[in-house]
Amino acid sequence: MYNFDIQKSQELGEETYVTKLRNGLSVYICKKEGFNKKIGMYGTKYGSIMNDFVDINTNKRIKVPDGIAHFLEHKLFEKEGANALDLFSKMGVSSNAYTSFDHTVYYFETIEKFDESIDMLVKLIKEPYFTDENVEKEQGIIGQEISMYDDDPGFMVYFNALRAMYREHPVRIDIAGTIDSISHIDKELLYTCYNTFYSPQNMFFLVVGDVDVEDTVKRIEDNIKKYEKDYDNLSENDPIEKFIELEDRNICKKEINQKMDIYMPQLCIGYKLDVVKKDEILKRETICSMIYDMYFSKLTNFFEKEYSEGKIIEPVSFDYEGSKYFSHIIISSSTTKLDELKEDIINYINKIKNEPIDENLFNLIKKKKIGNIIFSSDNLNVSYRRVIESILDDTSIYQDIEELKNITTDDIKEFLQMLDEKYLVISSITKK
Amino acid sequence: MSNIYKIQDEKFKSVYLALNFIMPVNKVENSQNALLGSVLGKACDKYKSQKEIEEYLYSLYGAAFNVNIEKLGDLYNIEFKIEFVNKKFLPGNVDVSNECIKFLYDIIYNPYLVGKNFDDEIVLREKESILNRIKEGKDDKLRYSVQKMEEILCPGEAFGMNLYGDEEIVKEVTSEDLYKRYLDVINNSYIMILVSGNLNGYENIESKINEIFENKLNDNISLNSLKYNTSNNRILDNIEEVREMQDTTQSVLSIGMRIKDFTMDEYFAFNVYNTILGGTPSSKLFQNVREKESLAYTVRSRYYRFKPIFVIYAGIQLENYEKAKKVIIEQIEDIKNGKISDIEFESAKESLLADLLEWNDSKIALAKMKMTNIVAFLNDDMTIEKMREKIRKVTMQDVIDVAQKVSVQKIFLLGGEENV
Repeated sequence: MYNFDIQKSQELGEETYVTKLRNGLSVYICKKEGFNKKIGMYGTKYGSIMNDFVDINTNKRIKVPDGIAHFLEHKLFEKEGANALDLFSKMGVSSNAYTSFDHTVYYFETIEKFDESIDMLVKLIKEPYFTDENVEKEQGIIGQEISMYDDDPGFMVYFNALRAMYREHPVRIDIAGTIDSISHIDKELLYTCYNTFYSPQNMFFLVVGDVDVEDTVKRIEDNIKKYEKDYDNLSENDPIEKFIELEDRNICKKEINQKMDIYMPQLCIGYKLDVVKKDEILKRETICSMIYDMYFSKLTNFFEKEYSEGKIIEPVSFDYEGSKYFSHIIISSSTTKLDELKEDIINYINKIKNEPIDENLFNLIKKKKIGNIIFSSDNLNVSYRRVIESILDDTSIYQDIEELKNITTDDIKEFLQMLDEKYLVISSITKK
Repeated sequence: MSNIYKIQDEKFKSVYLALNFIMPVNKVENSQNALLGSVLGKACDKYKSQKEIEEYLYSLYGAAFNVNIEKLGDLYNIEFKIEFVNKKFLPGNVDVSNECIKFLYDIIYNPYLVGKNFDDEIVLREKESILNRIKEGKDDKLRYSVQKMEEILCPGEAFGMNLYGDEEIVKEVTSEDLYKRYLDVINNSYIMILVSGNLNGYENIESKINEIFENKLNDNISLNSLKYNTSNNRILDNIEEVREMQDTTQSVLSIGMRIKDFTMDEYFAFNVYNTILGGTPSSKLFQNVREKESLAYTVRSRYYRFKPIFVIYAGIQLENYEKAKKVIIEQIEDIKNGKISDIEFESAKESLLADLLEWNDSKIALAKMKMTNIVAFLNDDMTIEKMREKIRKVTMQDVIDVAQKVSVQKIFLLGGEENV
């Protein structure tokens, strides 16, 4: 009945069925045989960085307050005064939602109430309910959420690194906004964002679990039809016009230090990179995860040295963070010897750029990564993260595994050359 | 060795194997255990550094090894665990199971010694790292508040002691002390082994384990015989309020409660009680403190599997302290007075029943459930299905009855400066 594009992974023994409903909504069903739990996720490619766009109703360009995508997430997950978490919880279903830079997802996890949960999730997202009163109430709750992050040194050191790297780009803004910015949010603005970004062609529905594929898609479609009167005679929607200016590699500020009432100082080093698209994003992710293992993990002399000198307890992290809107590397660690560790990392990176790659080490790490891929199939969360990433990056679903197979020592070498001190920033949190 | 429990499920592709060393501890032993776990996990006679250990694990297709520490109420558990991929799924069907078992054996029974003690240099380094972990504990305000509450609610009991130990005691530990501690742990703990995951092709893994560990694993010690100090029935007449200053944006209010004359028969009713009070988004705390009064984003209550206490915690604005306290206490009183709606009651049960089923999807969760049930109920016939049955049988009256035994004992405020 539906046309499916079936994507498969031999390594994982996993298949994902992809189809597009008539209204433009993309549906993904990732089959996990034998598992009891089923995860349903309804998401939109709309996140905190899309704060400047053309309002779909008025056709006028508008700039909205920081934190509104996250605020909308809170308000949408509510039905006539009842919190959605509560509605699901009453069915014995756990649920949650999150907002990131470029997407927002609402999800449930259930074993016995799968059908009812789909019904509920669609209902929540398709029936927004915003009032002056419930907007005001939420300002108090989100205010506490923002305060909680303000006291979290790991969170602060990370965001300060983004603020050091980006000059104007909205990725430098807190996802939740500030207490001041959210005070400017009202129900009209929420409807504007909702109408613009929660249209079927900008959204996706993803299910992970041991479910019947046809039945599940039909259930989703039947539910959606209830809320879309013109479902059967749809015309193509205009693409959403949003304004996110990609930045070049020039940074905003070399160094940001903040003082907090903490014991353990935090260090975060960022390298700003040029933005790449599609498979290139996955390739960089793979390269960076190889670089972590080769140069920073417990396997390395670097770790052994820094650890024995009491500078770190756990290995320094080395992560690629990239989307079609931004691209950078984040290297972070907690440390009691911040200045020394900072120097060590920077000198070390300059050193490894000029060293030949150890082939044996490279192969050993590939071996471990193959094992990790198999381990990961025991965990449903890994499956959904992979699908969401492929949706956002416009890649095929199991492309990450192909990238790993194809990666070469030359790729590593070439990538390391991009780590130029000119594009490096340092963020730190130290004791008051 | 007879305490080996296997959990087979072929939906998984890997195997989790854990050796648990469970023991009572006093204050000094408590402070030596985390250090011991760290030292043992960092080197053994065969692999003398973290680097050598990692290299070996990478060659076993990234087998995941760790030494974990945890409290099971007043008992301490040091867990040595490894996860490996079932041979069926590895290229060329390579079998790494023997290597993994042998590796754990080496880590536990062939430690890296210099002379007759652990290496001073390693001990010193791990000590630094443990001391940092203890001090760093304060940086996560919510977690620190809960930990502090556990401590003031259970003074002198092993459960209330910091898992990583007491700063002053850790500082004084010598390599010699630690080696003594090591002998005590391997000789006088109750040892339990769990193997969980896809065990196809590993039908005889118990005999393999016994063969590799020879007769090192001591099973003379029974769980019943582990003696520890506890004062589960200590109830104070007055509520004590404790305050600690920290320069933060948000304050954390926590409330500690004990249960009078707790018996294991009431375990499931208290579970339902906690869920109604603050275990889910349908709970009284979430609905009233967060949704109705908008006083907090985070507000929860926690019930402990091995200790008859509850800890409630909420991240609030300092100026709302009195109000939040009042609203929380009202919820506790409402349950005592039987003010529980059918929906609150049923949804709490639904949510507990669903949570239990979810344990079936993780090989580690299944193993942990088995282990903790054996420790809590002192027998191995409690299953997830039986637990669900017990939850189903809890009545509204059971919850109201057990609620009468709950007594607020301590209120702790971790807060920003006054007049801010």
